[in-house]
Amino acid sequence: MPSVVERNAIFSIEVPEKSAFSLKLPLLGIGLIFFLNTIDYVYQRLFAFTKGLDYSTQQYQQYWMSVLYAELIIEALIALFVVVYLWQTRDRNLENLSPAEELKRYWIWGSFVLMYAFAVFIAAYYAEQDATWHQTVIRDTSFTPSHIIEFYQSYPVYIILGLTFLMYALTRLPQFAKATSLPLVILVASPLMIFPNVGLNEFGHTRWFMEEVFSAPLHWGFAIFAWGALSLYGVLVTVCPRVYSLIDQVYLGAEAPSASIVIENPEACINPLFCSCERNALPNK
Amino acid sequence: MEEGISNMNERLLTQRESEADFVRKRFDLAVLLIIFLATVAAAWIHQQLFAGDWSFWIDLKDRMWWPVIVPIATICFPAAVQAALWTHWKFPAGATMVCFGLLLGQWLNRIINFWAWAKFPINLVFPETLLPQAIVLDGILMITNNFVVTALIGGELWGWLFYPSNWPMIAPYHVPVEYHGQLLSVADLIQYQYIRTSTPEYLRMVETGTMRSFAGGVLGVSAFFSGFISILMYFIWWYMGYFFAKPIYLKAKRI
Repeated sequence: MPSVVERNAIFSIEVPEKSAFSLKLPLLGIGLIFFLNTIDYVYQRLFAFTKGLDYSTQQYQQYWMSVLYAELIIEALIALFVVVYLWQTRDRNLENLSPAEELKRYWIWGSFVLMYAFAVFIAAYYAEQDATWHQTVIRDTSFTPSHIIEFYQSYPVYIILGLTFLMYALTRLPQFAKATSLPLVILVASPLMIFPNVGLNEFGHTRWFMEEVFSAPLHWGFAIFAWGALSLYGVLVTVCPRVYSLIDQVYLGAEAPSASIVIENPEACINPLFCSCERNALPNK
Repeated sequence: MEEGISNMNERLLTQRESEADFVRKRFDLAVLLIIFLATVAAAWIHQQLFAGDWSFWIDLKDRMWWPVIVPIATICFPAAVQAALWTHWKFPAGATMVCFGLLLGQWLNRIINFWAWAKFPINLVFPETLLPQAIVLDGILMITNNFVVTALIGGELWGWLFYPSNWPMIAPYHVPVEYHGQLLSVADLIQYQYIRTSTPEYLRMVETGTMRSFAGGVLGVSAFFSGFISILMYFIWWYMGYFFAKPIYLKAKRI
């Protein structure tokens, strides 16, 4: 039972509205990715085997290369917009960030991480779909109907989402504003490097015929970069204690380091107990 | 009057606790979904690129290479995820979660793409299961709370159990048939009917050389070898998971 002083502390803290933790944002993002992939699904079924078998034909250029060019332009513009917008609208007074506002920001940030995770799952799906295509059809170009969706759409989608939550964290969350979190950087940069690895892959495929073996060593670079997704756990171990201590502070009046302290020394502010089975042993619980 | 204020405070306090509970559950849900989707995606890419071919085609599910390559390649992520989830949250089903997600993704793709798009018959392209070994691996870690014991016993069983747990699915395809005077398995025969790109000009047979004169004894040797390497892989990947799950900050001098 909290004392009178503790109760006063509880009621004097600003509390975010419940709608700040709505599922609308993550569901909207996931829904958009799903919708985009439904369009891809239909387009591939209609035009991959009918118009996408011979790179030298006019219809290949019309039905597939035009999609590729459109994708690359749109993705570059979106990536540029996201980075510039998040930087321009950065919080220039982060030291005075209120706990309630910080908690709301963590929800927005987590929503983007969730979209990213879904987009990476979709990318893994397209990687296996690529096996379907290349074990059915001999390629005569690097820009096959499966690659145009896999490499040049599904990968850029998760890369843009990764850049989004990275920029959001750097510009709006005290834990990442000044100090560099190694797991966060790996989580974004390592799967991002799968995309440049396409260059090595395509170079190899111009020299060797390897469709028979999907597990060929030339492809292993993709897998090695995918390992970086494990750093998600490092990010969660970094973020979870802060989020749960903020919840306890905002709603139950518990003490938590202020934003200015976290900015200067985020590592020292991580109490792993807040995010573990031993959580119930904490004071205030 | 004071009693009224006290009651109001009590109600507000209860409301705050309930709101805190709501927010905590929202974050828990997001974390669970993020962990599931991202981990499964990475494990799936890893599995495709180190053992994918043995998963795609029934004729590659032989008695020599399949029981060696697939368990060795697929124990990596279950071990790493166990290291992260067990160490920090005592979540006892990390390996099962990875293998369930992997199976889900594989079936999605085999049905949507291999079967419905490229028109391969589903009995040529169905995936293997890793769930029985994953449950054993999780069970051992949960009971012993010791990753060394899990590696030694669970890793060995990971290799040993792979073939028996998949046997009911693949047994019909290992039945011998005679085709144009040549002894084949049903799996080989299916492959001949559905030629893939780069299927060599000669008709490839998986079980070649001494494999056939070994009277089937090679399977035990393969499983034993597979279990041995799985132990080593478990250790390596446990430490991978352990390292990646650390909240490390880089300290650099500001210019």
